[in-house]
Amino acid sequence: MKSALEAIGALATGFATTFKHLFRKPITEEYPEYRRPLPERSRAVIVLTRDPDGGERCVACYLCSAACPVSCISMQSAEREDGRRYARWFRINFARCIYCGLCEEACPTSAIQLTPYFETCERDILKLVYEKEDLLVEHSGKDKEYNFYKYAGVVTEVGDKGAHEREEKPVKIKSNLP
Amino acid sequence: MPKLIIDDREIEVPAGTKVIEAAERLGIKIPRFCYHPGLGSVGACRVCAVKFLEGPFKGVQMSCMIDAKDGMVVSTTDEEAVNFRQYVIEWLMLNHPHDCPVCDEGGHCLLQDMTVSGGHGIRRYLGLKRTYHDQYLGPLVQHEMNRCIHCYRCSRFYQEFTGYHDLGVMQIGSRTFFGRYQDGTLESPFAGNLSDICPTGVYTDKPSRFFGRRWDYQRSPSICINCSLGCHTVASGRYREVVRQEARYSEAVNGYFICDRGRYGFFYTSNEERPRQALVDGKEVSYDQAIREAREKLGELIKSTGPDAVACVSSERSSLETQAMLKKICQTKGWQGPHYFLDESMAQKVKSASSRLESGLAVSLRELESADFILVIGADPVNEAPMLALAMRQAQRRGGKIAVIDPRPVSLPFEFHHLNVTPNEVNLCASLLVKTAVDLGAATDLEQPGIEFYQAIPKLETVSSSLQEQIAKVAQELKESKRPIIVCGTETVRQTTPALAADHALLLQATNKQAGLFYLLPGANSFSASLLASEDGSFLETLEGIENGTIKGLILVERDLLLHFHDRQRMELAFEKLELLVVLDYVNSRTQQRAHIFLPTSTLYEAGGIFITQEGRLQVVPRAHLSGTPIAQVSGGNHPPRIYESEIPGGEPRPGWQALAELVHEEPQPDENTTRSSVLNGLSELNPAFATIPAIDELPEDGMRVSSPEESSPRFSLDWIHELERKESPDKSLELVLVNWTFSTEELSQYSPPLMKLEKEAAVFMHVDDATSLGLSDSDKVTILLDRGALEASVSVKENMAPGIIVMPRHRLLEWQKIETLPKFVSHEEIKKVSV
Amino acid sequence: MDWMIGFAILIVKLGVVLVGLLLLAAYLVLLERKFLGRLQIRYGPNRAGKFGLLQPLADTIKMLTKEDIVPEAADRVLFLLAPAVVAAEALLIFAVVPFGASVTLLGKKIPLVITDLNVGLLYVFALASLGVYGVALGGWASNSKYSLLGGIRGAAQMISYELSLGLSLVPIVMLARSFSLLDIVRAQAHYPFILVQPVSFMIFFISAMAETKRIPFDLPEAENELGAGYHTEYSGMRFGLFFLGEYVNLQVFGALVAVFFLGGWRGPFLPPVVWFLIKILVISILMIWVRGTLPRLRYDQLMHLGWKVLVPLALLNIVATGFVLLIIG
Repeated sequence: MKSALEAIGALATGFATTFKHLFRKPITEEYPEYRRPLPERSRAVIVLTRDPDGGERCVACYLCSAACPVSCISMQSAEREDGRRYARWFRINFARCIYCGLCEEACPTSAIQLTPYFETCERDILKLVYEKEDLLVEHSGKDKEYNFYKYAGVVTEVGDKGAHEREEKPVKIKSNLP
Repeated sequence: MPKLIIDDREIEVPAGTKVIEAAERLGIKIPRFCYHPGLGSVGACRVCAVKFLEGPFKGVQMSCMIDAKDGMVVSTTDEEAVNFRQYVIEWLMLNHPHDCPVCDEGGHCLLQDMTVSGGHGIRRYLGLKRTYHDQYLGPLVQHEMNRCIHCYRCSRFYQEFTGYHDLGVMQIGSRTFFGRYQDGTLESPFAGNLSDICPTGVYTDKPSRFFGRRWDYQRSPSICINCSLGCHTVASGRYREVVRQEARYSEAVNGYFICDRGRYGFFYTSNEERPRQALVDGKEVSYDQAIREAREKLGELIKSTGPDAVACVSSERSSLETQAMLKKICQTKGWQGPHYFLDESMAQKVKSASSRLESGLAVSLRELESADFILVIGADPVNEAPMLALAMRQAQRRGGKIAVIDPRPVSLPFEFHHLNVTPNEVNLCASLLVKTAVDLGAATDLEQPGIEFYQAIPKLETVSSSLQEQIAKVAQELKESKRPIIVCGTETVRQTTPALAADHALLLQATNKQAGLFYLLPGANSFSASLLASEDGSFLETLEGIENGTIKGLILVERDLLLHFHDRQRMELAFEKLELLVVLDYVNSRTQQRAHIFLPTSTLYEAGGIFITQEGRLQVVPRAHLSGTPIAQVSGGNHPPRIYESEIPGGEPRPGWQALAELVHEEPQPDENTTRSSVLNGLSELNPAFATIPAIDELPEDGMRVSSPEESSPRFSLDWIHELERKESPDKSLELVLVNWTFSTEELSQYSPPLMKLEKEAAVFMHVDDATSLGLSDSDKVTILLDRGALEASVSVKENMAPGIIVMPRHRLLEWQKIETLPKFVSHEEIKKVSV
Repeated sequence: MDWMIGFAILIVKLGVVLVGLLLLAAYLVLLERKFLGRLQIRYGPNRAGKFGLLQPLADTIKMLTKEDIVPEAADRVLFLLAPAVVAAEALLIFAVVPFGASVTLLGKKIPLVITDLNVGLLYVFALASLGVYGVALGGWASNSKYSLLGGIRGAAQMISYELSLGLSLVPIVMLARSFSLLDIVRAQAHYPFILVQPVSFMIFFISAMAETKRIPFDLPEAENELGAGYHTEYSGMRFGLFFLGEYVNLQVFGALVAVFFLGGWRGPFLPPVVWFLIKILVISILMIWVRGTLPRLRYDQLMHLGWKVLVPLALLNIVATGFVLLIIG
């Protein structure tokens, strides 16, 4: 009998709670009228950023395309006259992308980054295939400092052999002097 | 056979096996940088440390330096060994740059793998990194010395293994530098292997730079068809083109390495000018339409003049399936041919080579490395088949002696005897050498024809005294050898030479030597061509038939007549007389451009196929990727087109056998695999030698040997002696010897841009004496007047070649196809110096 | 002539009821979604038209234009038949439900019920039992494991609650002394039966929710276990028919509760039909409120409640009612 009363009490509490909800203002944020500012690290459309000196950060190392679980990234690497590698073409198929952020994690140069912008719906699916010119932005994104070529040790306009961060002068192979 | 225990598992290995190798047989891969099974051990990198718990050694030792012994108990997972290896990796990484993303080795880098598996991730050392300036090492190898971990693999490979010396070690300690004394193209034709053996990215493959990572490639086992050796390769395809070719280990053929011609000779398949569309009178049409028109025109022709009016020519670079399909068609339709060789004497040479290669004599390329004496008759290994030179180098490193009888200025990366006799004397010289070395008394089981053959060899005194001396010296070495192998070329030798080489091998075998025989053939599939070639009629007869109008239709399958035939002008005139010229090919050859109807065929990489090497080894190549215009060409290098299509652009080409089947049969043909298996099932009807081969998918990985029925060709023929008596060369004239070079003469590798950069200037070689009598000196320009006009080339004056000849390469930039008949003799008056 | 007029009136009544039912079903969906939304502190549909009033129209258009998929391995005939059974059964029950007293039009008395069967109550039970066929056949014919499980659950659940549903109405029949629904309403002229039969009302209400497979008794379509249960494989308007059947059932049971316990169409000031509608809506809102509050029962709890609580309670109630009737005479 006691348990039956308890059960009725519990039911009553439940109904009372939902009844009270009827008089509360809904917490819904109505989307197109109100756009909640998303956190900087939320994951949506992917961009290719530039290093602080304005150069393209992407060196087309193919790591993002390898990490991509849905194989939506493809590219072709090439070399500039100054020795910097870049993506001759770079394509992300957003119709296939699942915005998992693994490409961003794999990127060794902080080039590929996910942004909070997500309003990319299209009726024509081909418009969701983004090329490099659609992806490349004019800023450094979340990582404001890093310039891969300052550390890589390869010869580019950023520095010759021995002129990068924490490097000795090149070995003189034809001299026995230290 | 010592027995040892590695990680609680017992294994028995042959004596002399290193512990690292024994572990690998158990499936335990001990980390390694300097150790390479092809190069052996040096113990330089210290990363293969394991702990020896019991046995003659105790404690942490290098597994690559210690032979497996009875009673050893080894642990690769002992904490001490694991820590040791981890520290080694960490200090190897002290100076390694932070450039994996821009390094082409990334993805198949041993150092990357070892670093990650060793658990080293965060750099603790805060000091400065050592750097080096890099060098330009030619069009094939990219140098980035910062990445070096000083394992010495490159210098050991380059100097010890291949015998070239322009790349090596400089400086000491942590300043050690690997490279050349100064910038310049690497001299070795095996330099491409540096990018394979370097455990990190110091040497990377230059032509395939930027193309992609290993994991993105469609990798497929393949073989090289740029010479007759058939070395095993791995073809890496990406975006519908082969972008890189690497060596694939083969126990029987090439071991761990391949030559640069093979490695970079594949660019014909993605050549931008490669015709991928069927053409009728130069207009692009669909494949089916072209085939329909060809069939109609062939039908009309046969109706008006009979099946005799059609002739077929194929080549040595076609797969067995294509060659056999053509043969079958000619048999059933009554067409003339097919001819696989343009030169009747070459056809005979290959025929006798393939028939005389008995299973008791034949050796594989790898077996050649165990020879203690190699007699090369009429071959120039580095130029004709570079991997042969590498195998000979290994024999020489093991103490083998090498003698080369060849008129050309042969240069090999090791010490050898060069008997630079004239082309006429090659047979005699070889016979004298063998006669001097063989004691007839010791040859007890030699049968009568053999004894007669031996006795018929002239006396040593017939040749000049200096040559006598040389022969005697070499013969002594041959006499002392236990495993002599005769290598016989086919390009420049007389028609009797291949048979003679086999007879000499038999003579040597009769004196209790484990003699071997090794032929070089002119093309990748010459062996199968000779098995299929018809006995009656030669290409020259067909050509005459075209000229006098009895032959009106010609079908060329993967054959460039204007490149290979020695008289281009005559060939062109003949083409004009033809009513119908059907060409099936995958390169944009001169001949292809003359075709009335052109049908594109697919390459080895797109269709696969069977090729038979010079030792009769039948090897099956699977398809590496689908036929189609490379994406880079479709898009002009920019991003791929933004369209959805179900058809692959440029996917028209079909395998040669399929195109041929469709060409002759009215009814719709089954798909290419069915056609292929029906051709292969009918092989034994074409030649009983094929009866022994099993189904394709049951073939062993290294392929299997096919040999023609042995009794078919007579042993110990004395034809060569009769040939000696004919004195062919007119007085005061030089014999023109057409030769091949490592680069720039072989047909398919001519389409390779990186190899074009390695080409040497087209020069003719002349002996010092001839040059002085003509008043020429080194690098003079001359014009040589041939039958169809003059030819300009520079002269290279050599001492180490036979007098009385001009050695002329079939260089792609030299229009040598001006010769009416072969052999060709050039008189002194026809050679004129060009004054600058 | 008389016969002709009677027939015409019947047709008109049928049309009005049908249209009314369907329209009401559509707006009940909207009502449920809006009301449920408010229970969960959100808005519910508010995009199609003012306050989302055109949402039912949008849903209908959507379902009509969607592809109608029949799974390859399905039993085609049964698969196509099942949703129709569910919808038809629900609509047919309404044939005996009186929605008002009679009106006199042009001197002719027209009863506001499609047909007044003297065994109306039995007819209701017969058709309610048929509903199980739609569920079981749909689940079986889909040839999918989720559907089959949903169908089996549905069959077991509906047969179980059929009992308590029937037993709970025995006291009502005893009070009204008739099986005719019209008579039952007339019997409540002085007081609605809910006042004298609260236990019956409770049992009927709970069993009705179980019969209509509504939360907390939605085991046959438990979406987090079975996808959508017996209608997993349905799409387009065929799914729409299942949906329609469910909401017509909601109205039917609302109407039955009104007829059996709330005095039917009776009420002060407002016309009888309006009262009837209000009563249906109140019952529906009550059911939605239950849905918004209670979690789904476990299967054993469901069976326990049906067999060990409701059935004995209903039997006891019958005995008690009989006892009281005997005493009062």
